[in-house]
Amino acid sequence: MPLFLPTDLSETLALLADHPEARIMAGGTDLLVRLRAAGRTPGTLVCLERVAELGRIEALETATGPAVRIGAAATITDLLRSDTVRQRLPLLHRAASAFAAPTVRNAATIGGNICTASPAADTLPALHVMNASVELASRRGARILPMPHFVTGPGRTALEPDEVLTGVVVPVPRIFTIHHFEKVGQRQAMAIAVVSLTAMLAVEDGRIRDARLAWGSVGPTIVRCPEAEAILRGSRLTLTALTEAARAARRAVAPISDVRATADYRRQVAGNLLLRLADLPGRKPGS
Amino acid sequence: MQDIGRRSRRFDALDKARGTEQFATDIYPPDMLWAGALRAGVPHGIIRRIETARAEKVEGVVAVLTRKDVPGTNRQGFVYWDMPVLCGTRVRHAGDAVALVLAESRRALAEALRAIEMEIEPLPVVDTLDAALADDAPNIHGLDTGNVLKAATIAKGDAEAGLAECDVVVEETFYTPAQEHAFIETENGVARIDDDGTLHMTVSTQAPFRDRFEIGRALGLDPSRIHVTGPYLGGGFGGKDGATVQCLLALAAMHAKGRPVKMWWNREESMLAGYKRHAARMRFTAGAKRDGTLHAVRCELDYDTGAYAHLGVEIMALGMEHSGGPYRLPHLEAKGRCVYTNNPVAGAFRGFGVAQVSFAFEGMMDRLAHALGMDPLKFRLRNAITRGERNCAGVTMTTSTGMEECLLRLRDHPHWKSREAWRADAPPFTRRAVGVAAVFNGMGYGRGLADYAVAKVRLTGSGRIRVYNGVSDMGQGNASTFVQMAGEILCQPESVMELVQPDTDRTHPSGSAAAGRTTYTYGKALIKACETLRDKLFNRAALMLFVDDGSGFAMIPGGVRHLPTGRDLPLAALAAMMHPDDRISMAEHLMPVTPEPVRGGEAFTLGFPHLLFPYAAHLARIEVDELTGRVAVLDYVAFTDGGRVLNPQNFEQQVHGSVAQGLGYALTEDVLTEAGVLRSTDLCTYVIPTSLDLPDIESHAVETIEHTGPFGMKGIGEVGLNGPLPAVASALYSAGLPMTRAPFTFGRVLAALEDDQPGTGSEAAS
Repeated sequence: MPLFLPTDLSETLALLADHPEARIMAGGTDLLVRLRAAGRTPGTLVCLERVAELGRIEALETATGPAVRIGAAATITDLLRSDTVRQRLPLLHRAASAFAAPTVRNAATIGGNICTASPAADTLPALHVMNASVELASRRGARILPMPHFVTGPGRTALEPDEVLTGVVVPVPRIFTIHHFEKVGQRQAMAIAVVSLTAMLAVEDGRIRDARLAWGSVGPTIVRCPEAEAILRGSRLTLTALTEAARAARRAVAPISDVRATADYRRQVAGNLLLRLADLPGRKPGS
Repeated sequence: MQDIGRRSRRFDALDKARGTEQFATDIYPPDMLWAGALRAGVPHGIIRRIETARAEKVEGVVAVLTRKDVPGTNRQGFVYWDMPVLCGTRVRHAGDAVALVLAESRRALAEALRAIEMEIEPLPVVDTLDAALADDAPNIHGLDTGNVLKAATIAKGDAEAGLAECDVVVEETFYTPAQEHAFIETENGVARIDDDGTLHMTVSTQAPFRDRFEIGRALGLDPSRIHVTGPYLGGGFGGKDGATVQCLLALAAMHAKGRPVKMWWNREESMLAGYKRHAARMRFTAGAKRDGTLHAVRCELDYDTGAYAHLGVEIMALGMEHSGGPYRLPHLEAKGRCVYTNNPVAGAFRGFGVAQVSFAFEGMMDRLAHALGMDPLKFRLRNAITRGERNCAGVTMTTSTGMEECLLRLRDHPHWKSREAWRADAPPFTRRAVGVAAVFNGMGYGRGLADYAVAKVRLTGSGRIRVYNGVSDMGQGNASTFVQMAGEILCQPESVMELVQPDTDRTHPSGSAAAGRTTYTYGKALIKACETLRDKLFNRAALMLFVDDGSGFAMIPGGVRHLPTGRDLPLAALAAMMHPDDRISMAEHLMPVTPEPVRGGEAFTLGFPHLLFPYAAHLARIEVDELTGRVAVLDYVAFTDGGRVLNPQNFEQQVHGSVAQGLGYALTEDVLTEAGVLRSTDLCTYVIPTSLDLPDIESHAVETIEHTGPFGMKGIGEVGLNGPLPAVASALYSAGLPMTRAPFTFGRVLAALEDDQPGTGSEAAS
């Protein structure tokens, strides 16, 4: 079993060009489990753990405003420890804190979470609502794709065999006043999301100026619902408005039944979770 | 000093913390082979062909064995012998072993297992109780009684007439799931046959002495030529009470030409082939008088024992015996059926048949209290069994009976007293509730099987005290408590003590680590052995000091003192003058059983009824999220009557552990199968609680004195598991969410929420 441990990006790209059959391993928390379950010894593996440049998290200014660039091999623990992520991308920070458990977070990477492309991936809904883009590199050159164009289906991405995901660029949300993340799992840690809702709302003088919503685990990929967002725009955070948006959301999702929950449950709760945003006495929305 | 009553550190704590304690899994003898089983994968079928030629050619494979290579009866079991070591003609569940491979490496083993060709002609799968009990059901074991392994009835008073006399009568059917033990250390062991033909086995087991007979019968070996060593276990909970790897491993050793063989099931194999808690269906009718007197219970209990009996009949018997709850109930009729299916094999599990019925009888108490307009705790208190009364199975409680005191203490707890205010303060989309449960659990084997232990203690040649523990320590801490007991009687500190773990050559048969009996029975024997040794030391000291007799001596750390003269004699000096045989003391003990005749239960050969019971009253404060159906247990309180507490730390650990396991049973744990095929195949899909899912658990001891027990104690290993499911159910019931099916997954709770508030629910829904 050939195992490569490149130490920089150009070496990584060269290996991938020479070994198109190779699989890329970052933290291995998904890949190794699947290889073990399949009872196979892995083929060629290119490991990213020694490519330091892929592990950086940095704030940057782009033409459209401030952003955060996260290297693909940054671990979930790196996200949690990063002041930049905590202050500028609170949703991603919340998603990271709901991710598996500390030992897994120490190994698992954001790039791995994106490339595994599970509909239940904890970081994906946050990346979707923040309009993040992924950076891909190969010896042929680099390209940038918006998240929804990169993840094309459950376990499917637009990554070419000679390409590696090098990082994700996340524009810092500016006008949004409510950052809400809720993951429904069978337990409070080491849980695969049964349904999750990630929401950003810009509320001004009690009215919703803008809304971005994304659901996990209720479709083949992350589900957005422009109809529900449109219902919320311009209205107040009332149970009536949210209930109407919830109906739209239940129409938009396409969940399956599995060992964790039924499709009906997922559909129902995908809508219900919106009600949590209601501006009710005794509770601050988004908290 | 290892005094009784002290919160002293466990004797094994340092070794475990340092990682130096050797579990069976840690043993890798030189020149070792690996053994592994091929599992049927099909829940029910006829084996048409097993072709091993290709597997035998895999490099590193030493042997590939099938049914024809099994000598003896090929039947495992210890009350009913119905489980093949290797299936020859028929498979009855997907985890049945059909072939056994010995190989030089794990890799060769895996390759050979894949290379075995197997054709199994599928038979219709019996995957539910109803399917098993249908008139035209396939007969899994060819019994005249169909798939009913055993049907039985126990009775007290006249349930029919009693119900007719009641002012309120409620009926309900409850369902509990199969539960996985999910111990950290999965089933494993190593074995070797030495030159003289003796089989040596070190195995993760709760019953090393009985294992010899199970292996011997299955494989035609002489049990006296089987030597079993049972180190500390990484958890057992009943799942290692009865052969797991033992017979397969012994068979492998018989073909290993004297080389050691190791077998270690991985988590998936443990899920597939390991034992589970019986899933149960419980139909209850219960009635009470208007004044709040519980009067009559009639119930039908069906236990799904899966493909094989294991201890299914005895488990059902305990369920029936406890089905009236820890109450003074004049009329009970309990009918039980233990039923074969093609589901995973069910067997012993902490709370042995009682965990199931606790949900049902406490559910009936909540419903009766509601029907009477009575406070649920007051209703329980009014009917709690007290000493001198006959319990629900008709046995007079002649020993410690702390049920009422547990409930009284719970009634005074702030969480109970503040329940209304707390409930009213619920945040949006949240229902809050406080639930209670009263539970008990028979201790020991019950009538029909002597619950005995033989203790041995030795003064070593160098003057140390060595305790020969005959009952497995799977983490519950009995071994440590034995050291504490010996330290108490002989007045010796931990540094002077040594401990030998169960070993059929060195320690003595003392029954299984089961039934909350471990510390009780062996402890009683050990006290006698230690007292005998102490008296012997005094008498020998009298010889050495030229005094008339052994009176006037006292034990002191490291020696004995002659009080009249103030002279000390070190243990080492005593040891030097004593013959090695003289430095040993042995004693035995039998747990008492009731001499009282009880009605019914004639169908059981053993295990009914019980005389001694620990009791517990539990409280759960919960929040139910109306948007997701999630139940969060925020606070948990347990009052436990285990007699006198010998070590508060061990006592609390038992309570905490059993409550944690019980909350898993209440909320998420469910061995899911579809047409007999496992769906919860690993710990990703079989959901046990994590530390974040568990509340702080308050444990309070309600110290009665159990006069028959060692230093006044009773075993509490099981009773704590019986409380969480009914306590959480009781809270849900008071929140308007009557649950009859465990676990209370968010899907089930959300459905109950929608049933409770059709208006709001459907508005949110559509």
